[in-house]
Amino acid sequence: MISKTDLIKISAYEWEIPASYRPDMRVPVRIFASEEILKDVTRDKSLEQAVNACSLPGLVGSVKVMPDMHQGYGFPIGGVAATRYPEGVISPGGIGYDINCGVRLLGSQITYEEGEKYLGELSTALNQTCPSGVGTGGHHRFSTREIDEVCRKGSSWAREKGFATEQDLRRTEDRGRLQGADPRFLSPRALKRGTDQVGSLGAGNHFIEIDLVSKVYDDRAARAMGLSEGYLALQIHCGSRGLGHQVCSDYVKSMQGAVTKYGIVLPDRGLVCAPMDSPEGEAYLAAMACAANYAFANRQVLSHYAREAFESVLAGRIKDWHLHLVYDVAHNIGKLESHDIDGKSLTVCVHRKGATRAFGPGSQELPSEYAMIGQPVLVPGSMGTSSWVLRGTTAAMARSFGSSCHGAGRVMSRSQAKKAIWGEDLLKELKRAGIMVQAGSMAGLAEEAPAAYKDVDAVVETVVGAGLTDKVAQLKPLVVIKG
Amino acid sequence: MGVLKKSPELCILKEIMINSLAGFEEQSHTADLEIKVWGEDLPSLFTAAADGMFHLSGIEDYEKGFSAVKESISLDAMDYEGLLILFLEELLYRLTEDYMMFAIDSMSVSTDFSLKAKLKGTQIRSYQRDIKAVTYHRLNIQETDQGYEVNIIFDI
Repeated sequence: MISKTDLIKISAYEWEIPASYRPDMRVPVRIFASEEILKDVTRDKSLEQAVNACSLPGLVGSVKVMPDMHQGYGFPIGGVAATRYPEGVISPGGIGYDINCGVRLLGSQITYEEGEKYLGELSTALNQTCPSGVGTGGHHRFSTREIDEVCRKGSSWAREKGFATEQDLRRTEDRGRLQGADPRFLSPRALKRGTDQVGSLGAGNHFIEIDLVSKVYDDRAARAMGLSEGYLALQIHCGSRGLGHQVCSDYVKSMQGAVTKYGIVLPDRGLVCAPMDSPEGEAYLAAMACAANYAFANRQVLSHYAREAFESVLAGRIKDWHLHLVYDVAHNIGKLESHDIDGKSLTVCVHRKGATRAFGPGSQELPSEYAMIGQPVLVPGSMGTSSWVLRGTTAAMARSFGSSCHGAGRVMSRSQAKKAIWGEDLLKELKRAGIMVQAGSMAGLAEEAPAAYKDVDAVVETVVGAGLTDKVAQLKPLVVIKG
Repeated sequence: MGVLKKSPELCILKEIMINSLAGFEEQSHTADLEIKVWGEDLPSLFTAAADGMFHLSGIEDYEKGFSAVKESISLDAMDYEGLLILFLEELLYRLTEDYMMFAIDSMSVSTDFSLKAKLKGTQIRSYQRDIKAVTYHRLNIQETDQGYEVNIIFDI
């Protein structure tokens, strides 16, 4: 077990495990954490997993871990690792089973005073229009040929079908379409699993939430994003559903052989990988892009349903019920990006496993409205606690491959949470706090209780203290829809 | 503690006998789900693992009697761990796609890392939890005095 004495303190919010800590480390680990957060993270295996990740061939810089880290199944959740393209490796486990799990935030012109009396109706309408829950598919079943199109085009497919606007595409990471997606690299099972899940939320920690913009910290950035204090907003958190899970499972399996073939020695089979210029690596990159595009389309279709719900409840009752997309970010993904490494611009594959891209001002990937302020970074809290809107900084580009945290991060196991918390009690407690919850199951609700997570505010203070992001606005939950 | 009994009709989701030769037990894991599984031989280890996975899925409502659907499966892998994952993924796929739960009627596991099994299926009406995947993380089948043991982590 790694303890605090093994760490070198860089600043109040940054620590290092040097590459000399273990012989198989190719690079050091950089940890973004306050003293308080370190106490939590040294209790589980997240730092050990970060050290394991340092054995991947082709790594550059250091493996980063964000303050919301917790142990995963190979990589730590909250991990960021960049490998040199094309000879470095890509690791499906460093991206996750829910490929392009992510969050989007939609803003509104609805004040709390106007919207408050309709929150109950909105909750019911969202629950009806946005399919959620274990094993629940979308409203439509598509042919595998149509799923091919979804995988190739992502949000552009949604645009063609009338589910998206041009502004939606502009305000989605990569316009909601990763290049290089090739459905020929998907297994028949992956495609089949995709046929009935476009526009579905799923279960677990996925949610749709109506929030109140409770405090604005940065007027200029909030204005650019169309967010104002006292107005309603909506978050959607979900990913690529069964199609993405199947892609990861398929390639974790196929890469078990690739590791031997390319002479790669790893401390954990959950880290299996292949060089990006190998047939196995190229195939995974093409399949992963398909799943990522499927997830972008999925969140886009859900946004369309949410807009329909708002229209059905609010049209004719209030003046402007429209929801505009602020931004859509991926937090389980591998991206080919250019970064300055030791004074040289290199193309690297940035694995973000439970970490969010946080590009700073001036980045060419950002739409013009965010060019001056930096990329909106969305950090959902645990149910019942604040969520945060942050913005990427120039320092993040230099220190974390333009990355930041993705949420609160678990501290309690699901079985502990279920033992400690009754879903029914939690529901009452949240109601007393003015939060309406629609949940698929009470046990599922208990597993996702706020007490099972770190304090999201402390996580945000850390990434802000470390200079990776700046605060833009805080959101308070009003209505939560959980699968 | 969930423990496997020999009769396939009874093997699912039961909590019985502690000192059995095969069974599973849920472990604590921060974000995912982990079970410890044991069996006197590889087929009973694999069967207990399937039992544990169905338990984690929270299947509550299913047709009694596993005789309606009979199937055979045949799988090959590079090692026993890979074979265990293939086997569990096969059952997981049928659970999520076809709402089918299977009991293992008979199984043989060969030293060339292949598996043949006869399954009896039953239709389920619902399950409580989506398991995304069976992971390779720290997966290591170990021989013990009583047979075999392995810890399996599921991503949820």
